[in-house]
This record gives sequence, structure tokens and C-alpha cells, in this order.
Amino acid sequence: MLLIMENIKLALSSIRANKMRSFLTMLGIIIGISSVITIASLGETSKAVIAKEFESFGKNRVIIYLPYTEDMRDSDYFNMQDIEKVKQKFGDDIVYLAPSGYTNSEAVNGRKKAKVSIEGVANGYEKMINMNLIKGRFISESDIKSRRLISIVDKNMALAIFGTENVVGQNIRISLEGQPVDVKIVGVYEKEKSLFDGMRGSDSTTMYMPYSLFPSQMTYMGNLDMKIVESKSSIEVSQKIADFLAKSKKRESGFYMISTTQGEQSTIDQMLGTLSLAIGAIAAISLLVGGIGIMNIMLVSVTERTREIGIRKSLGARRKDILLQFLVESMIVSATGGIIGTTLGIALATIVSVVLNVPPVVSPSIILVAVAFSAVVGIFFGIYPANRAAKLDPIDALRYE
Amino acid sequence: MESLADKMVSDDTLLDLKDLYKIYIMGNVEVQALRGINLTIKKGEFISIMGTSGSGKSTLMNIIGCLDKPTKGSYFLEGIDIKTKTEDELSYIRNQKIGFVFQSFNLIARTSAVRNVELPMIYAKMHASDRHKKAKELLDKVGLGERIGHMPNELSGGQRQRVAIARALANEPPIMLADEPTGNLDSKSSVEIMEIFRSLNKEGKTVIIVTHERDIAEYTDRIVTFRDGQIVSDERR
Repeated sequence: MLLIMENIKLALSSIRANKMRSFLTMLGIIIGISSVITIASLGETSKAVIAKEFESFGKNRVIIYLPYTEDMRDSDYFNMQDIEKVKQKFGDDIVYLAPSGYTNSEAVNGRKKAKVSIEGVANGYEKMINMNLIKGRFISESDIKSRRLISIVDKNMALAIFGTENVVGQNIRISLEGQPVDVKIVGVYEKEKSLFDGMRGSDSTTMYMPYSLFPSQMTYMGNLDMKIVESKSSIEVSQKIADFLAKSKKRESGFYMISTTQGEQSTIDQMLGTLSLAIGAIAAISLLVGGIGIMNIMLVSVTERTREIGIRKSLGARRKDILLQFLVESMIVSATGGIIGTTLGIALATIVSVVLNVPPVVSPSIILVAVAFSAVVGIFFGIYPANRAAKLDPIDALRYE
Repeated sequence: MESLADKMVSDDTLLDLKDLYKIYIMGNVEVQALRGINLTIKKGEFISIMGTSGSGKSTLMNIIGCLDKPTKGSYFLEGIDIKTKTEDELSYIRNQKIGFVFQSFNLIARTSAVRNVELPMIYAKMHASDRHKKAKELLDKVGLGERIGHMPNELSGGQRQRVAIARALANEPPIMLADEPTGNLDSKSSVEIMEIFRSLNKEGKTVIIVTHERDIAEYTDRIVTFRDGQIVSDERR
């Protein structure tokens, strides 16, 4: 214990005595650690962003859809009876179930127009996607039954064609199944900014209406949109439902395709994980190079201090005392580089997050791993030079000029 | 750690060398640096080992100082058989029993006088406050009480050698072993350093001076002269 403290003091004074050299030695570790941390953090950040993205799409949400096949039959499409059957059999596992369909149209108010994508949905949809309803209400069950011509619109669309978000009670004209109809606005929602907004590349907003207003889709539905209770695996339950539907339509199991948020998310997470692992591994190579740099400088230092080693040995230093002295020095160089690198890495990750406008995520575990790894690099690459110092013959070392 | 044989210390014998050889192999040639040395040094002696370079006196100093082991023969230090000791055990013996003073001072650079004096006590695992106090006392004793914070390059040769003497005294070893201690000093400093050795001897330390200068050897009570790896004379005065 006593010697450790002495060795730390010694190492610090030796590092101070060769400031520039110590800094350059650390640089390899600094660059290695900071890039590993930056990359790992960006990986975590994108995972978090994507998780949030999926949450806005609906946790445990599933879409069962009809694939394109050569021998398409009319009976392959879903209809209201199918929905009832599924509800009866799997009612306990399903939170939301409705046909899913959308159509593109234009919403018109006087002279002002806006492109809209009209989505036919059922009551409960707003809960599934965590909709932020800022005015009015969402679609109710009676809206569906009575096929009321109502809609919930995006705040940005309201601003674009009404100049205000207070549009509940106003009418807009759209084209539905080829017919122009006037639709009453009953609610306004606000959509959080999404990472994918830019990718969609359109100024179109989504407008929600009761699905029962789309008669053609009621008989020939290609998609079933549902949310599975969160206590169950959406992949398993949806598989059962898809098999049930396939059987009832005399198709082989696996005929209907399933898209689950759970599945998609894990696929993307996996891709991101692999990607950051690959880049991280490349960054880790720079750590290795940094370690070799430490070894090189420690070897130089041992040679330069051969006489000092001889003096220390003549005064009673044992092999392990000398070993420890040089090992502590290389560990301190490496760990200091690790700490600076970590700080730099966190700063870089934060800057990139701020630039990309996403919340920064720096996991403590990666910091721990990085600093521990840099200390290990210090030990690993310090052992050889330290051992060389420890093994020096005191007489030869004392004679060294 | 000491065996029964180790404990069989005879009266006041400090060092006992018997039929001691040191043989180096250089290429195919065998070089006998020491050839059958018999030497006994008692506690409290002030002795010099004289000889020209190549006479074997440095080899002998390395062996007496436990930096090296004899090839043949025996060396007992306070009854301890040095030949049987491992490298780390020799380090411990050097730390506890021998105070080295070198021709080129061998202070550690960029390290203050007081830190240099503390070194042997660090390896003796003495506590920081105790050894700092002790180091200051020792520097006071050699007349450098005012310069404890000076770096070696801020001190004159004579002052550096006094720091080295203070360092050699740190763990209160029974033996002071000085290798050409005045070799790098002017005559005034040489006298001062030799006076310090003399007063240390008066206090009871055994002092061994290795030198090639007759007038330095003259300070001591016993002069052992070497030639070609053998003792040619052993005069007591």
C-alpha cells in the first residue's frame, strides 16, 4: 500500500517531467477511447430514437396483410365477419382491431388546399399510437356505427388552410371514393417531430376518419391493423391469428404476412448493434496501436533510467518494487488517456446528438468498460518494459552511462 | 528467515570472506577477477581497500555490497551466508545492512535531496512522516539542513556526496561501503568527506573505502592492497 502511493507519486513526477512525451503517448489512447465511446453512444442514441419512433407507431402493434400471389381469390381478402371471428376467439389478447386503409386526397377550405392522407381507423386507435390530441375528440364507436362524416386533422394542416388550430366544428371538403364530400372536423392532433419526417419528403399530413366510411375496403380488406396486449408477445399472438385466418380461408398456415413493431424493432436494433460493433472494433484497433505506443515509450524510459534502476536496486529495491514502479507509470499514462478520451468521447457524442437534434445517450457501462479497458492496455503493454527494468542486473545498471 | 547456521555469529566479526573466487567467462576466456581472497572485517573498523583499476577491488566491493555473488568460496555478513540468498533477499540485505556511497554520487535526478535520502526508507516500508523526519535529521547531520529541497543539479559535488552519505545512513546499516567517494571531488571537499567518514567511524560505524589513491587510504586504520585479484598486503596502523 505504502509503495503503491509512492509509485503513484513517482509516476506523476515522471509524467510531469516529460509532459509532451507523455501527452503524445496518451494521444493514442485518447483517440481510441473517445472514438469507441462516441460510436457506442451514437449507436445507443439511434436505438433510443428508433424505439421512440416505434412507440409513436404503437407498441405491440401488428399488421396482418395479404401478400401478392398468382392465384389470388376473392375470399383471401378480409371482411367484417373475419374481424368478428378474430375478436371472438382472440378478444382477450387484442386491444385494438380494425381494417387498415388509407387514401390520398386533397383537403379544401375555400381557396386553400392541402394534401392529406386519409386513414380509416376505429375508436381506440388514438390510444394505440399515443396520439397527442390538442383540440376536440377522437372517433367514437357510435361514429363508426353511424358512419358519421367526421375527421381528426393535423395541427399543421389546420394552420395551413385555416390559419388557426381552433378548427373544431369547421368543415373541409375532400374526395372520398371518388365523391366530393364535406367532412366536419371534430378534433386536432399534434404530431411530434419525427426523424423520418424528412425521409417521407412530402408535405402531406394524415387525417383520421371512421373506417366504416370506406365501403370498398370493408369487403375487400388487404390489411388488418391491431394492437396486442402488452403482456403478451405480439409476434406469437399475431402468428396464431394469421394461422387462424389462413385456416378459415382454406389456405396453408403462413399464407398471410405479418409485420410487427416488435419484430421490426429488433431487426433494426440488431442491425444497429452489428454496425456499431463493427465500427467499435475498428476504433478498438486504435486502442491497440495506442497501447503499442505506450510500450514503446516505456521501453525508452526504462533505457533512459537504467542508472536510476541500478541506484534503486542498490538501495534495496526488489524486483517487484521496480516492476510496480514502471507498471504504475504505464497504467497512469493509459488511464489518464482513458479519462481524457472518455470526456472527449462524451463531448463528441453530445455534440453530434445536438447537431442531429436527438437526445444524447451515454451509457455508464460503456464508460466503465472504456476506462477499465484502457487500464488493461496500460498493464498489458506496460508489463514487458517493466519486467525488463525489474530484471536489470544492479551492477550493469549502475555502470550504465 | 535466518537458519541456525546463520545465527552462529562469532563475537564481533562483521564480514568474513573465505577462499573467495570470482570468475567471469568472456567469450571463451575465463577471467579470474578474484583469486582466493581471505578477509575478515570486524565491527567498528575503518578500512580501505586499495588497488589500481583491474586489480579486482571493484569486484570485491560488489560482492561485499551484496550486488554480486562469489563463484567459489564463502562470504558471511553478520553470520548470513550470502551465497545462498536470492536476488530479492540480497536487496533486503543491501537495504538493511549496507550504506553505499559512490564515486559519481548516484543521486536520482530531478528528485530533491530529502527525497533521495528517503529512498532506502521507502523500500524499508517506513511511514512517510517518520522517514521525512529522519531524512531531515540526516541531512542536518551532514550539514545540509538548509538545502533539503534542492535538486541534485543545484548542489556542488561535495554537497551531493554529503546527500549520498545521508542516504547511505538512512536505515542505520552497520556497514558504510564507499567506492572512490572522493574520485569526483576537489581536494577541499575530499577532506571534508573523509572527515565525515572518520566521525561516522568514531560513532561506531564500520566504514569500508575502496580507492586507488594512497592519501585517501591514509585516512583509514587498515589498508588492504589488491593486485591481480589477490591481497598483496594488509597493514594495520
